[in-house]
Amino acid sequence: MAAKKSRLSGQGRLESRWGIILAMPAILGFLIFTIGPMIASFFFSLTDWTIGGRPSFIGLDNYRTMVKDELFWKSLSVTAYYTVGAVPLGLIIGFALALLLNQRVRGLSLWRTIYYLPTLVPAVASAVLWIWIFNPDFGLLNSLLRQAGLPTSQWLYSEEAVVPSLIIMSTWGFGNAMVIFLAGLQGVPRHLYEAVSIDGGGAWQRFRHVTLPMMTPTIFYNLVTGVIGTFQVFNQAYVMTQGGPNNASLFYIYYLYRTAFTESAMGYASALAWVLFMVIMLVTFLLFQNARRWVYYEMAGAR
Amino acid sequence: MSPRMITGPRNGWSRRDLLRLGGLAAGVAAVPGLAACNSDSDGGGSGESVDLQFMYWGSTFEQKAINAMLKQFEQKNKGASVKPLYTPNDYETKVNTLVAGNRPPDVGYMGGSMGYRLAEQGKLVNLFPYFDKYPELAKRLPGTYFWHGKDKTFGTQTANEVMLLWHSKPAFKDAGVDLPPADASKAWSWDTFVETANKLTLDQNGKRPDESGFDPKRIRQFGVSTSIQYAPAWECFLRSNGVDVVDEAGKKCLLDTPEAVTVFQNLQDLMYKHHVAPTPVQLGNNAPATNVQLQTKRIAMAIDGQWMLLDMSQSKIDFGIGVLPSYQEPSTTQLGGASVVFSGSKHPEEAVELFLFHNDPKYVELFKNGLWMPLEMKYYTDPAAVDSWIKNDVHPPEYKTAVVDYTVNHATTAFGQRLKNMDKIGNVLTPALQQIETGKQPAKEILTALTPKIDALLQGWYPTQKL
Repeated sequence: MAAKKSRLSGQGRLESRWGIILAMPAILGFLIFTIGPMIASFFFSLTDWTIGGRPSFIGLDNYRTMVKDELFWKSLSVTAYYTVGAVPLGLIIGFALALLLNQRVRGLSLWRTIYYLPTLVPAVASAVLWIWIFNPDFGLLNSLLRQAGLPTSQWLYSEEAVVPSLIIMSTWGFGNAMVIFLAGLQGVPRHLYEAVSIDGGGAWQRFRHVTLPMMTPTIFYNLVTGVIGTFQVFNQAYVMTQGGPNNASLFYIYYLYRTAFTESAMGYASALAWVLFMVIMLVTFLLFQNARRWVYYEMAGAR
Repeated sequence: MSPRMITGPRNGWSRRDLLRLGGLAAGVAAVPGLAACNSDSDGGGSGESVDLQFMYWGSTFEQKAINAMLKQFEQKNKGASVKPLYTPNDYETKVNTLVAGNRPPDVGYMGGSMGYRLAEQGKLVNLFPYFDKYPELAKRLPGTYFWHGKDKTFGTQTANEVMLLWHSKPAFKDAGVDLPPADASKAWSWDTFVETANKLTLDQNGKRPDESGFDPKRIRQFGVSTSIQYAPAWECFLRSNGVDVVDEAGKKCLLDTPEAVTVFQNLQDLMYKHHVAPTPVQLGNNAPATNVQLQTKRIAMAIDGQWMLLDMSQSKIDFGIGVLPSYQEPSTTQLGGASVVFSGSKHPEEAVELFLFHNDPKYVELFKNGLWMPLEMKYYTDPAAVDSWIKNDVHPPEYKTAVVDYTVNHATTAFGQRLKNMDKIGNVLTPALQQIETGKQPAKEILTALTPKIDALLQGWYPTQKL
């Protein structure tokens, strides 16, 4: 160690010191606002703390309660259902639009802006907008379906349709995935397309044998961030459905919020938060395990 | 374990002081009069100024009236200044955060079940010892107190409210039907109520539900609107039919009794059998307010709270007030959020004064303009006191019998204000009510499945006490 240290020149020492000092705000922010509360919530999760009362240590009781808590399982399954629907749909739509917006057409940047716009609409505003779109009597969706002579739906008002409705609505937020896909598409080497053309391949072959494999790291990235994001879905339940009807849209984070702030059961809510953290960790771990099979990196071992 | 210790010291430069300093600086620039007033009170006081915080929710109209009330309090109490903390949304979240951060307000509105919790934790002032000093505090309607033990009360409702049958007179005139009775002794039976609602329901072609060719999908005017999810709107019918939500011991849920099933089936039938009331789908979750729906004749009658009177009188509707239909005995629900004094207050005596002041009909306009009903018994029984708040343009002539007498003789306090563990019970009850409301299953099936779930959560009633 000592030998290594002495090899740093004065300039190097100065730079590394400044580097640490300049990185400090981010590091401190992470410690104070992320790691700190996480550790605190872990300890709370081992207590029966309700706001205003004195916490007492109860070990793993909160976690034991959870096993028998019907609403915990309900909210977990509702959230998983939403994730399984929303993530693939978002990926497909984002990818398809990125492919279209990667073509050489006139006014390209205008199109890109327009397709990105919905992502910029504040979450609550778009939720209120969608309440109207989903209105069974005079909403846009049912009006269109009625005119086309198709069966209509009760959308947010029926236990069966509420999560699918919210999944449809989630595609509205494809913009972020789309931008990342676009960036990925820019990085696909031209010469591979030319090689396919020389071999007599058409558009489909170009897509199937060049675009898709070269894009798998980007798809994987969007998949992981998408899963993590949708597990934490909250606004829709909070603004549009309040978890109803009959708890059919009781998303996990909404249940957690309700437990913490209307029932004031902070201890139990902290335990819920930790379980969600574990669930997301586990799912992400499984996704990474599975990624070895299908994600292609040009540089071997870059994963 | 003194309350002060739990709440922690509030000396030094608190954020509140800093905020006020900023506000003062802005105020000096904008309103010279205000600045003068401020220095006046500094000079007049004995060096100790009393700073209180009053936390509340409500419409913007209520906000105006409350702020005016607080101004009056400041004028009447030299040296006192009250900062309004207007919190229209997520009130409980905010209170919880303030309590967790040891910065609760001095006086404020409070949801019932949260109030019991904070009271049991010693966060709220027990007002019982103040009954001797302020005898009028002991003379409120018995059902409006929140007792959490013997000789322990954390307060009363902010104001009183009851459920009523509102109606649009023009809609009745068009249909040629008699108006709902305004006297409990003449209350409609449920069947008469349904018959009348039927006569007041019209589809796009002007057909009634009992006529052939009636299209239940395109109803222009509904006979009545009521809420199944909102317990105070139906618990009165249970009592009218001889049952309650839970038994007297508070240990057994009675929602699966034949009497309760009848009430809920009748409510469900209003929507799906008789087609005289809007389903949740037809209503929409961003439907206009009841007064607007009555005004536009979207609905002809509505079961809704007394507080509607404020909006009704503001929007110049030709409306009337009737008593609710009755099964065996006339019955309505009496309810109201709580008002409390926080025990962390640095000035508990002044805070209690403010507590008494904030809903005194002598100082607050909200009684005369229809939002609130008084708490003290004399405002219901002493003719002069009754007239003091109902003899005006806002309160219609039938108000005396349909509301004042109805409240004294036939109102029972909402079960949610007195039942223990209400948050958890609500989490189980609401989804079941939503199922009844969607009409896919008969009420009996849903209630039979619900009752054991509620039984498991029941922990009895909070006490009541004779004064």
